[in-house]
Amino acid sequence: MITRHQLTRLIRGFEMRKWALLAVAALAVVACGTSSSSGPTTGSTITLGAPLGLTGSLTKESTLTKQGYDLWLDWINAKGGIVVNNVKHPVTIKYYDDTSNANQSAVLMQKLITEDKANFLLGPYGSAATATDAAIAEQNAIPMVEANGAAQSIFNQGYKYTFGVLSPANKYLQGVIDLALTLTPRPASVAMLSADDNFSLEVANAVVAYATTKGMSVAVFKKYKNGTTNLTAEVQAAKAVNPDIVLNSGHLQEAIAINKAAKEQKLNAKLFAYSVGPSTPDFIAALGKDANFVFDGSQWTPQVKYTPAFYLTVAQYVAAYKAKYPGLGDPDYHVAESTAACLALERAIENAGSLDPKKVRDALAGLDVTVFFGQVKFDARGINIYKPMVVEQIQDGVHHTVYPQDIADAKPMYPTPAWDQR
Amino acid sequence: MADFVQLVILGLLAGGIYVAVGVGFGLVWGVLNIVNLSHGALVIIGGYITWQLFSALHIDPFLTLPVDAVALFVFGYLLQRGLINRIIRAPLLFTFLLTFGVNLVIVNILLLIFGSDFRSVTPSYSGQGIELGPIVIPYVSLFSLAVAIALSAALAFILNRTRIGLAINAIAADRDAAQLVGIDLRHAYAVTFGLGAACAGVAGGLIAMIQAITPTAGEPYTLQAFVVVILGGLGRVSATVVGGLAFGLVEAFGQSIPGSGSVFANAIAFGLMVLVLVTRPQGLLGRLR
Repeated sequence: MITRHQLTRLIRGFEMRKWALLAVAALAVVACGTSSSSGPTTGSTITLGAPLGLTGSLTKESTLTKQGYDLWLDWINAKGGIVVNNVKHPVTIKYYDDTSNANQSAVLMQKLITEDKANFLLGPYGSAATATDAAIAEQNAIPMVEANGAAQSIFNQGYKYTFGVLSPANKYLQGVIDLALTLTPRPASVAMLSADDNFSLEVANAVVAYATTKGMSVAVFKKYKNGTTNLTAEVQAAKAVNPDIVLNSGHLQEAIAINKAAKEQKLNAKLFAYSVGPSTPDFIAALGKDANFVFDGSQWTPQVKYTPAFYLTVAQYVAAYKAKYPGLGDPDYHVAESTAACLALERAIENAGSLDPKKVRDALAGLDVTVFFGQVKFDARGINIYKPMVVEQIQDGVHHTVYPQDIADAKPMYPTPAWDQR
Repeated sequence: MADFVQLVILGLLAGGIYVAVGVGFGLVWGVLNIVNLSHGALVIIGGYITWQLFSALHIDPFLTLPVDAVALFVFGYLLQRGLINRIIRAPLLFTFLLTFGVNLVIVNILLLIFGSDFRSVTPSYSGQGIELGPIVIPYVSLFSLAVAIALSAALAFILNRTRIGLAINAIAADRDAAQLVGIDLRHAYAVTFGLGAACAGVAGGLIAMIQAITPTAGEPYTLQAFVVVILGGLGRVSATVVGGLAFGLVEAFGQSIPGSGSVFANAIAFGLMVLVLVTRPQGLLGRLR
């Protein structure tokens, strides 16, 4: 019989021997690694965290965001991971469903940091959730690179750890005005119908101010409640002033409602442009040929021509998307910008040569790289003001890039014919 | 003047949708004493049936409305018989909890089946209308208003002229006395809920033509149905019709206020509701119970 004391000693002995063996093995691995020095070794896995609205009202856009993240994830892991000081770190992305609720998004962001030990954060979908999550990233001093929150109010808080790869809200419809100035007959008056949420108002106020500086008159500026589905009275108000340009700053649902009401009430403007909505396939599916001639500002289109410093070219990216998600058509800009956020983070980690959050944060602040999505560079607030927005137009049921001219693939169709002459 | 007339017309046409959404909600509330928080989800099921029949089989959306009504009647009947009947005499909070839960389940099943894409029914005559000088009356909205009025008339006929309708009225008046004279409560309850769901289904078919729908698009309609029923008054179909048209008019005039006035269109409508509650608690046309 052995006593309990002897048993404990015996087990400890085994444990000691096991550790010793492991240590020898580890040394051997390190020795081999240094002696051969043929390629990078594999290091710890980098965990990225992202709360997304996988159920609820933002499911559509959140799913597109996830597609963008996953597209990059496949690519980086096929290469073996992100290389930091000659060590390859594989990457995983931990997702949680925030049910399209900004407050829940922040709770899950904290959970990702404390429980899941996420090294870095990717943004949620939408300005509201990005704003609440940015506060969490800041408190924990973990960098968050986001691609789907364009409201400048997020970046005016003095945050140091939030970086947005997309063009900010105030640029969304500026391109449409720039385009309008090149057209004949030159449009002179603008009607603006805007939703009353932060993001939409930023877009609307900026473009109205911009149009005024370019000599256009603002015939009517109406705000409506975010999410309104019946906009007939607003369209009626626009019709009463007979504007050359009808602008909407809102969301897909409202853009569809305005276009339907414009046809019903024979609101015949020379140019219709909506901030968000026409770029999605749903807009064309819902409206059929009535979607033709509509312009929108877009973060990115599959036709843009940028020369990437790394990752895929635009054509390769579109092909990779279609291979992974067959039957969905071209990737839209939500997908592209989400992939771009991952690329910015990847390059910053490589530049930092470290997984230290502070060092990666500094590398993000100094980042300046062009990828398939365009130039990614952040101003002092952390938003990418350097990449231009492009202007798209729906022509015969297909999206075409019409401005800026150097990356356009079609000429704008202008003026828009009257509803009964289509 | 033309602008004013146009606004009144647009308001009344929009009110048609609120009538269609409100009548079923008011019926269930008045008879079963259940504020059905899943009403908007039932509306959207109707919308998806119409969309599916229109996009896959190219059936005119107005012809799909009877299909919506029958399908939702059966669904509503079974839902009441199997689930909601269990809490029929429970405190109001339980009915809120259960119907809210049903709402979540329906919305998420729709998300699984149809995804979150925006769907819209756009028939060839969509966007066209009668033009009387500067005034435009869109066909789809006009037909929708006609359907809503016809739906209300049919419901009033069923409630006041048929045997089961009289039974439902008897239950609404005094549930115990109704049981004493031999009315099968469970069947009558289920028929009531089925009728309410059928009205929701028809409303959904109309809504799919007027706006783009997603599985979550029904939620605002639950709230609007609530306001419409309170505005008009509980217990009469005609009261809901008046409430719905009044809500449409108030909303249109609220939206026509220059500048950011339309942000307050809802607030104005709710303000009116509070005013009605204070001055005429039984609603514009309701009966005191």
